[in-house]
This record gives sequence, C-alpha cells and structure tokens, in this order.
Amino acid sequence: MWRLNKVRHKAGGHANSLEELRTKRREKERALRQARRDRQLVSKRLLLNEDEEQDTMEVTPGEQVSFTILYTDFRSPQDVVTLFQKLQHGSTEKEAFLRPLSKALRNPSAQLTFIKLENSMHLLVGLLTGSDARCRLQAVRCLHELSHSPHTSAASACLPATPYLLTYLSGQSTKFTLCLYTLGNICPESEKVKERLLAQGIIPALAGCIQNHRHNLAVVEAAGFALFQLLQSKDAAQKVIPAVLASSLPSQLLSVLTPDPDFGLAPAIECAWCLHSLTSSSEDHGELLAQGALKQCCSLLVSLGGAVADGNTDQGVELLVCPLLRCVGNLLSSCPSEALHSELGGVDLVAPLCELVVALLHTLPALAKETAWVLNNLTAHSTESCSALLTLNLVPRLLELLPFSQGINTMVLRVLANVAHKKKEFCIRLAELGLLSALTATLKMADQNVVTLSLEVLFMMIVSCPQVEQFVSQGGLSVLEAIQYNSDGEVRRRATYLLEQHILTEK
Amino acid sequence: MLQPDLVQFIAMGGSQTHNGDEEEGFRGAAEQQVEGNPFTFSPQLLRLHRDHQLFEDGDVFRHMYLQDLFISEAEEQPVPSVSEFGCHISGCRAVFSTLHEYEHHYNSLHRHVCCSCRRSLPSARLLDIHIQEWHDALFTILAQKQDMYLCLVEGCGQKFRTSQQRKDHLIRLHKYPPDFRFDKSRKEKGTREASGEQRTDSAVVAADDVCRSEGVCEVMCGVESNQLEQEESMETHASIEEAAQSEDFSASAQTPETNTERLKPKYSYRVPKTVCFGHGSVRGFRGQRGRRK
Repeated sequence: MWRLNKVRHKAGGHANSLEELRTKRREKERALRQARRDRQLVSKRLLLNEDEEQDTMEVTPGEQVSFTILYTDFRSPQDVVTLFQKLQHGSTEKEAFLRPLSKALRNPSAQLTFIKLENSMHLLVGLLTGSDARCRLQAVRCLHELSHSPHTSAASACLPATPYLLTYLSGQSTKFTLCLYTLGNICPESEKVKERLLAQGIIPALAGCIQNHRHNLAVVEAAGFALFQLLQSKDAAQKVIPAVLASSLPSQLLSVLTPDPDFGLAPAIECAWCLHSLTSSSEDHGELLAQGALKQCCSLLVSLGGAVADGNTDQGVELLVCPLLRCVGNLLSSCPSEALHSELGGVDLVAPLCELVVALLHTLPALAKETAWVLNNLTAHSTESCSALLTLNLVPRLLELLPFSQGINTMVLRVLANVAHKKKEFCIRLAELGLLSALTATLKMADQNVVTLSLEVLFMMIVSCPQVEQFVSQGGLSVLEAIQYNSDGEVRRRATYLLEQHILTEK
Repeated sequence: MLQPDLVQFIAMGGSQTHNGDEEEGFRGAAEQQVEGNPFTFSPQLLRLHRDHQLFEDGDVFRHMYLQDLFISEAEEQPVPSVSEFGCHISGCRAVFSTLHEYEHHYNSLHRHVCCSCRRSLPSARLLDIHIQEWHDALFTILAQKQDMYLCLVEGCGQKFRTSQQRKDHLIRLHKYPPDFRFDKSRKEKGTREASGEQRTDSAVVAADDVCRSEGVCEVMCGVESNQLEQEESMETHASIEEAAQSEDFSASAQTPETNTERLKPKYSYRVPKTVCFGHGSVRGFRGQRGRRK
C-alpha cells in the first residue's frame, strides 16, 4: 500500500546499484515531462497481493524493496492459454487455476494473449458474477492485472466488467480497493470507457463508497484515486465536474483532508489532488467556497507549512502541500476581495506562506514558485496582506529570493509590486528595507521579464518616495542608462521615461 | 514565464471593489494620466488552469509518486537555479552567473569607449589619453614642439616627445610588455583605421541626425569592431589587471556623478540594434560639452 510512513521506492532487487536506480528515475521523469507536454499524463496503480506484500516484509531492515519489478512473473504467455483452457473445461477447482492466472497476467504480452483468446473475457466476467465468492475475488484480481496493462486494448477489454465492479462497490463483502483501483486504471483509457462509466453511475458510486467506508482509509484512498483519474479527462469541465460538484463528493473530500496520524498522508493526498483538479479545470468555485474549502485548505496548509519549515515532517508531505497550494491559489482568484477576510476565517496566511517559500526553495524549488504565486494572489487586492508583509518583517526574506530564477524572482517581484502599488507609505517602507538596492541587481539580470517588472517597481518607488539619491548613489543611474540600449523596445521606453521624467529632473 | 494562452488573467477592477482609502495607490494617481507614461503594472489575480506550465514540475512529482518512483529526502535534492546577469547593451550577448562578473564586463568593455573610433579602453584615464593622442588635432601640433606623451602609469607623470620614447620608458622602468594592447601608436592602426573610419563615418552621420545641435555624441558602432575590442581587451586583462583595476574602480566610482552634472544625453528610439555604449565615451568630444536644459 502507499502508506507514506513507509515510503518505498524501486530498487529492483539487491543487484541493481543506486546509480541504475537514479538513471531509471531520471528517464522516467523525462518521459513524464514529455507526456505532460503532450497532454497525455496518466498513471496507473497496481495493488499487490497480500502474499506479495507479506514476503516483502521479511527483507533486511533498511533495505528498500521494489514491488512490481521483483514480483513480475515472467512466465511465458503460453501458460495463460493453458490456464484458460483448464478454466473453461473444469467445473471445480476453478480457484486453483485463477490464482496462477492472475500471476501470469502480470506479464504484458500474456495480457495481450489472454484477451485475444475467444471468450476469455466472457469467462472472466462470468466468474466475477458467479456464486463462488473466492472465485469472484480472483476474477477481480485478474481484471486488476489487465487494467494495469500498458496496452490500451488490454485495459479496455475490462469494459464488460464495469457495471459489476460498480455494483460491488455498494455491497458489503467485496474487496473494494481492488475494484476501485481497477476502475481508476481503466477510466482514462478512452472516451468510450469514461462515458460508459459515467452512464453507469460511477460518481454516485464513489460518493457512496467514501461515505459508507469513511473509517476504512485504504478504501478512501482508493476511491480518491479513482475520482482523480476520472477528473483527468480532457473535457472533465463539461462532462464530469458538474456532476461531481452536485454530489456529496466535495464535502467528503474536504472531510478527508486532514491526515490521520496513524494511517498517514495517502488518503488526504488523493483527495487534495481531486480538489486541485476540480478547482483548476473549472472556474465554477461557488460550491467549493460555500463548503468552506478555502478556509480548510488554508488552515491545513498553515499547519503543514509550519512542519515543513521546522523540518520535522513525514516523508512526502510535499505531495499534500502541492495540491493544497494550488487549491488556495485558484480559490483566492475567485474570491471577491471584500469577502477575503471572512472566507479565510481569520487564518493568517502571509507569514506561513513566506516561511514556506524559503523552506521549499532548497528542497523543491518548483513548489517554492507555486507558493510565491499564491502570495501574489493573496496580496493582489488586499491591503491588509500587504501591510502584514511589512509589519511582520517578511520583506527581507522576500528580497533574499530575488536571485533565484525559473519563475521565482518574477513572482516575488509581482508580490513586491503589489505592495508598492497600494500606498506611498508602503513604498517608503520598502525603500527603508532595501528594495532599491535589490533592484539595482535585478535590473541587470538577463531575463527580460525580471527587468520589466523591476522597472515597474522602481517607477512606483521613485514616484512615491524622495529617495532618488539613494538609488543613484548605488549605481542605479548607470544601470538605467545602460538599459536605454536594451534590445526590447518596451524596456527602453520605460528606462528613458524614468530617467527623463523623474531622476534627472530631480536635480 | 506565464503563457498568455493558458493563463486567465482576472484583473479585478480596483474601483469597484475598493474603498476610498486605497486611492492613494497608483490607480488614482495623477501619474498615470501623464501622457506617454509607459508603465502599466497593476496587481493581478492569476488563475492557473491545470495544464499550465507553472504546474509542470508539481505534476511530474505527483506522478512519480503514483508510479512508485517517489524520492526519499536523503537522495538527490534539486538545486534551485539562479538568475543570470545579462549585459544590456543591445548586440552584446554576454551573460554572467554573478553580479561581480557582470560589473567587471560592463566596466571593462562598455564604460570607457572612444566616441570616434569605438575602441574600448579599460579606464577613464587611458580613454582620456587615447582621445588626446589619437583624435585631438591640437595635441598633434603641440607634440611637435614639446613633450606631450604622458606615461601611462598613473602617478608617474613623466612626459615624452614621441610615443616610442614613452613605450621604451614603460618597458624599461615600469616593466610593461612590448606589445601592450593599450599603447598602440596611431600609425599602427593602418587598414583597420581606414575601414574603421568608413564605418565610423556612416555611423556618425546617423548620430548627427539625431543630436547635431547638442554637441553631445551618441555612440554607435558595428558589432564586428565591438567584438574585436572585446577580444583585445579580454586577452590583456591578465597582464594589466593590477595596473588597470585600481584605476578602473576609482574611475567608475567617479563617473556617475560627474556625468550627471554635465550631461543629459539624448537618446533616439531609432537607435539601430547594435549599439555600443560607454559611460565615458561622451568625453569623446571634450570641447563641446553643452548643458541641456
């Protein structure tokens, strides 16, 4: 299971070196990045057998063990044919053949072989709905292996089984997690599959599942995963999200957000990613705001952020922080500014966010950038937040972020610009805190966006406060003069305007 | 950066949602109404769609976890990348990883450029000497009768009748190399000067169009000569560092103030793409410094 208090990663057996592992991970990361750019980013999950899990526990303490690699059964596809024939003809002992069949179906080419056999899926569905409960379970296991296949045809072949899997979700004794992960795996396979599942009532089924099994966090995690998969479809905003928002799922998801100390972060992670999918695919945030989503995400973010900043966190807490940040960021953009304070319910976000940016900068710079984005949305139209940045002495920490690229310094400059834009007094205060000298450095950076934003901030500062001499004496004048020869026309215009209208006339 | 096609900017109109206190800010400021004000910033709420590029890293992180490739903390930590500094002068594409390198580049190459021949000198003093010896007709006349060639070492103060004598002095007394880059005598320019002159002429004509009456020089130069100068000065950095550096830094400290007092250069937006700018270069026309009102 994916309990994060025991985070495991692929080691591929004792023979593989750490270096191979790293290389493999880097390749995988590259592949994922490309998939995202192609809008094809989809993942599946494989639930292991209990006996597989059991065996892994006996490994020497400290060893990290792979699951799927170690237990991939590389039997020949021919075994699948043999087993299938035995299943077709024998009337008893079916379970005895189903178990090895499910193991054999771990192999991708065996998967293909199996689905091409005549009546193979029909047989499986028959066993799925038969009177033998243990056979049912093994049939689900076989379907699960097929759902995890890298071949679209194999996963789509599971389609006839879906109404039963969904029905069992509202039952009592089936292994819910297996059904849920199977459904989650085949969801994104094709439009046809997704529409069939929607028609068959997957959304109410998931809502019911979470509600009825709220105490069983493994099930909640699996349901969250299945919902997340459903929400990844390209037209989710039109076809899926309205139905989800109309169901009881929003409140369910919010109720799962706070991590259970014993079980770990995994269910909260899945639900948070669902919430992110909801808030980022659709502009319709009314329902979520009404349910108090902003306040809840903020207070959770504050407590997790504090733990991150202190350095005492469970492994993987960033996996929860990330979707929370995104929810807050997008919900803030829908929240009318006069309602901001009440929506936040008095949660002070400014200081925790600043701490979080700094803490994440050296562990996960990408998340630091997302945190800065949230700060921008918070400060854009809120004088209180801007004032808090000044009074809580957070500006120096923000200034320290200005050397860092890949979007971090541009976003931080936006935040500072938001502050400067509010009041003259804020500009004066910012100047006292050293913003002008920070700008003389950012104005020299190669990134044109940084330069443009720096000029905008500089303009606001110079107009508001009589500290031109400070800027000039720190070499600012010569920087501006150099910028007048910049290749970008807009940049040149701004520099010249500043010089002519404000700096050189001051004397 | 943010891709416009994926980001929905929702600039919440300030006037509708804010009370009067906020009018101190820039929205209501008279500044905005000044004609030609190019500054456009206003705070904006950024709503990011799930496919937005800003979310890429986090999504990859999430899927690494789903596929059991999650990294434990002890392993590789990504290093945050630092912004590079880039030389602003259009046509100069130099990029640096530290501010110090940027400053060094700028001060060495763009600060003390001769207006007439676009040579880049490493210090204000050497620039002055160069201009005097190469471009000042009066100097040539006086040099026939008196010792005019000043020793290049600051503080030495000796003068010589010919540049060759000065060169000998530099080699013998100050241990300079015989091929010191910043002591080429005028006649050595040779063909370079000729071709340089041609380019200068056309460039200067354009400059004159712009600021003819002001008596202030607008420096323009071709990329090739710029690069040549860069190569020259780069190579000799090692040898003249000790001598030049102290001069350089003291000179650059002075220039901002002196220049602002004397000049308000006029810049045209019709500046061609390749422009070489030097802070001390406006001294190329020493006798004609006029004060713009």
